Amino acid sequence: MEYKYVGKSYIRPDAISKVTGKAIYLDDIRLPGMLHAAILRPQYAHAKILSIDTSEAEKCPGVVKVVTGEGCTFHYGDNIRDLVPMADKKVHYIGEPVAAVVADTPKHAKEALAKIHVTYDPLPVYIDARQAMSEDAVIIHEDMDQYWTLPTLAVVPGTNIANVYKVRKGRAEDGFADAEVILEGEFNYPFGSCAAIEPHGSIVWFKEDRTIEVWSSSICPFIVRDDLATSYGVPAADVRVHIPDIGGCFGYKSDITVEQTIAWIASFVPGSPVKWVSSREEDFTSTLIGHGIRTQMKIGAKKDGKLVALQVKVLHSTGAYADTGVNVTMAATHNSTGPYEFEHCDLTGYTVYTNTTPVGAFRGYGHQEVHLAIERMMDMLARKLNMDPFTLRSKNYLREGSVNALGEHMWKFNGDVATAAAKVQDVVFGHDKPKEDDTYFYGRGFAAVMKSPKGAPFSTKGCYMKMNTDGSININMGGAEVGQGLRTVVRQIAAEALKIAPEKVRVYTELDTQFSPYEWQTIGSMFTMQGGRAIVRAADKMIALLKNTAAQVLKTDPDYLEYDGEFIFLNADPFIRVPVTELARGYITENGITIGDLAQSVSDARLPRYASPDKNGQGPLGVTYTFGAQGAEIRIEKKSGKILIDHFASVFDVGQVINPLQIRGSVLGGVNIGIGAALYEEVIFDEEGRITNPQYFQYHIPTYKEMPRQTIEFLETPDPIGAFGARGIGEHSVLGPAPAILNAIYDATGIDFCEIPVTPDKMKKALEALKEYA
Amino acid sequence: MAEKFSFTINGQPRSVEVEPDTLLIDVIRDVLDLTGTKHGCDNATCGTCTVIVNGRAMKSCNTVIAKVAGAEIMTVEGLAKGMELHPVQKAIAESGAVQCGFCTPGILMELVAVLDAKPNASEQELTNALNKHLCRCTGYEPIRDGALIAQKVVQERAAEPA
Repeated sequence: MEYKYVGKSYIRPDAISKVTGKAIYLDDIRLPGMLHAAILRPQYAHAKILSIDTSEAEKCPGVVKVVTGEGCTFHYGDNIRDLVPMADKKVHYIGEPVAAVVADTPKHAKEALAKIHVTYDPLPVYIDARQAMSEDAVIIHEDMDQYWTLPTLAVVPGTNIANVYKVRKGRAEDGFADAEVILEGEFNYPFGSCAAIEPHGSIVWFKEDRTIEVWSSSICPFIVRDDLATSYGVPAADVRVHIPDIGGCFGYKSDITVEQTIAWIASFVPGSPVKWVSSREEDFTSTLIGHGIRTQMKIGAKKDGKLVALQVKVLHSTGAYADTGVNVTMAATHNSTGPYEFEHCDLTGYTVYTNTTPVGAFRGYGHQEVHLAIERMMDMLARKLNMDPFTLRSKNYLREGSVNALGEHMWKFNGDVATAAAKVQDVVFGHDKPKEDDTYFYGRGFAAVMKSPKGAPFSTKGCYMKMNTDGSININMGGAEVGQGLRTVVRQIAAEALKIAPEKVRVYTELDTQFSPYEWQTIGSMFTMQGGRAIVRAADKMIALLKNTAAQVLKTDPDYLEYDGEFIFLNADPFIRVPVTELARGYITENGITIGDLAQSVSDARLPRYASPDKNGQGPLGVTYTFGAQGAEIRIEKKSGKILIDHFASVFDVGQVINPLQIRGSVLGGVNIGIGAALYEEVIFDEEGRITNPQYFQYHIPTYKEMPRQTIEFLETPDPIGAFGARGIGEHSVLGPAPAILNAIYDATGIDFCEIPVTPDKMKKALEALKEYA
Repeated sequence: MAEKFSFTINGQPRSVEVEPDTLLIDVIRDVLDLTGTKHGCDNATCGTCTVIVNGRAMKSCNTVIAKVAGAEIMTVEGLAKGMELHPVQKAIAESGAVQCGFCTPGILMELVAVLDAKPNASEQELTNALNKHLCRCTGYEPIRDGALIAQKVVQERAAEPA
């Protein structure tokens, strides 16, 4: 649909501050009397702490305090309360905080760390869920039966299983009995790091007036606020959390992570703000990592390609704490169908404690891991059925009339995966593939994708709006700007809803729980949808309020009045009107007596009827899915095994494009993250639980020279929930690259990879094995 | 032992008293409070700490202060002239090359150094320069777009009679 401001490219409101170096990020904040913390990490990934001697460290220059976990009596977490701010009697992973030094400078704090002496009694280390699930495995959390959990979750005491999530639709055993072809496969999406260029960090200040003030590069100030209030027994209103500009998130700055540790440290030096910024190594070892998902999949189909049954076991190695990982397991599990309808589903997700850095959100949130499985399986099944993979897929796409694994009915307005697929097919497969030559194999691969709005039923986004006497607008929301460009989106949606130029809309800059409206956290690609709806609601309320005041001025009834951005006017005679600028702070009559309300409004929005799962794991998530399709054209260098992406195509049905420049930028970047996972990235743990590559020069993220040519298109089937029909798109572009590239590798060489990253070394070995076999 | 080091930064002469092995980035950020230069890794891999020293792009996280004594240093704060943005800043702001903005200062300084030294740098030369910078947000394409727009403006300015 044609809108005046929606659907056009505007420059980000924060672009100028970012190119002038004036944007303030966490590490740029300096406070009077600020102290600096450095944190000691253990030598073992799983061990009992026998003793900690801090006496030497205390004598070091500049040291104000040395802190350990001794005496910490609380656990924290929002799903499974299994986290502690600092290890006490035991360490569970190699990046865990064991002790900390607070000093006048970061250098002094780091120097004193070396003088802390800790003795350990090592325990067995489990990296993979399968090890931790073995019968004789040592229990990592002995007290897990005492952990508070959300009512929908349940730890399995006496095991390392933090939760089992089951989705049952139909009767899978009947489905498989009915199937004519059965295919099984196992796929692994290993650990990754979000690896934002800005490392995570926090400042916490316990003040003498018994309030707590926090600055963090977090996307969830209200979770940080509420969690600290609970842990330290103060009213939430007395915890003030500021969020400055954030230098990239991609997931791992969500939920509460490092803030509780810095708060614990700062609580020992009340009166002084304490700052901690992770080193790049700590950003890998001691914040959150991603993925760690092994998917075992069994598909039952008819000979004509009709899918009938799906059985999936998601084995999620969630690391030392499961609070941040358990929802990722659930999202992976119920999205393991991909964009396909299965009459019968038996899907089980195991969230398993291990001894790695805890796993949390990573852009895609469980979806890319299972898409690797389902989209590779679709190509393999097509081969088994001797059928064109596009035909197989198109027979089974979720479309109007289908029911997904969660029991949600799909409608036309949920989007058009078939058209997206056809477009990708055209731009990637519509021309002849280059013939194999002396240097290269050539291949093309495809993946169709779907992402759910996985979040929480209570996830709400608030909006405060006010009009000033010159007609300009201030909007204040709780959405964290991590680079995704949500401030531009706020500006455009508000301009459209209020019928005023975007230049007249000033969008909030930082978040501050003292002033910002509540937002659960800015996750799940949901800001444009939920936030956009909140803006439209706030605008409608404010326009109604302006009409009420104008009705008194124009001596008529509000429902006879219209609003055009500049005036409130009588619908029957637009010459009878009053400018909104004269209504903004109430209307001042001839003798100065002022009538009417201030032009300001408050609203919020959440997804409709988002529910907790029932006993079969089913329950609506707001029925808003974004579907799309992606495809890769690749070359494989025979000599080196190096895989080059020549062209990558993405088509998503986003409902309505808000800002063409930004949405393309979002997909470009997401595809690069997906390519990184497919070809380069893996956080590698050795047998003792140490990360062997915790630096950018060891953990390779895609570089400038590795960017592929990208084709990006959008379909616009308007969504009924999102403002002006827009759906979520933030994470979706990371879902298809791995399966599309692995499908292309098969197309090029006939080799089936079921695990990423496919490094040159692995590719070369596989090519050599193929040669020997031939 | 702290020693005195003098240099020019963003056109202003400055002196600092620090240990000779103090890193340039720490002097810039912590002593001079120029926080536009960012710290992204600890081993000169990500490129966001890049500043211009005597006309050349240099990573400030592996450069000790003793090495730049007497030098002319420019940081991202030195690019704009009052309210007027440097053409590279303007192009990068408008091309979509800014998302989270954390890699942006380093990329700006790299491009300014390359284009100042060689307004007609080939695309390969620009690619080689930009390949020294990690960006996790943009997929690089908008950075390339911004670089090419900036180059055009720089070339046009160079062609104008002085």
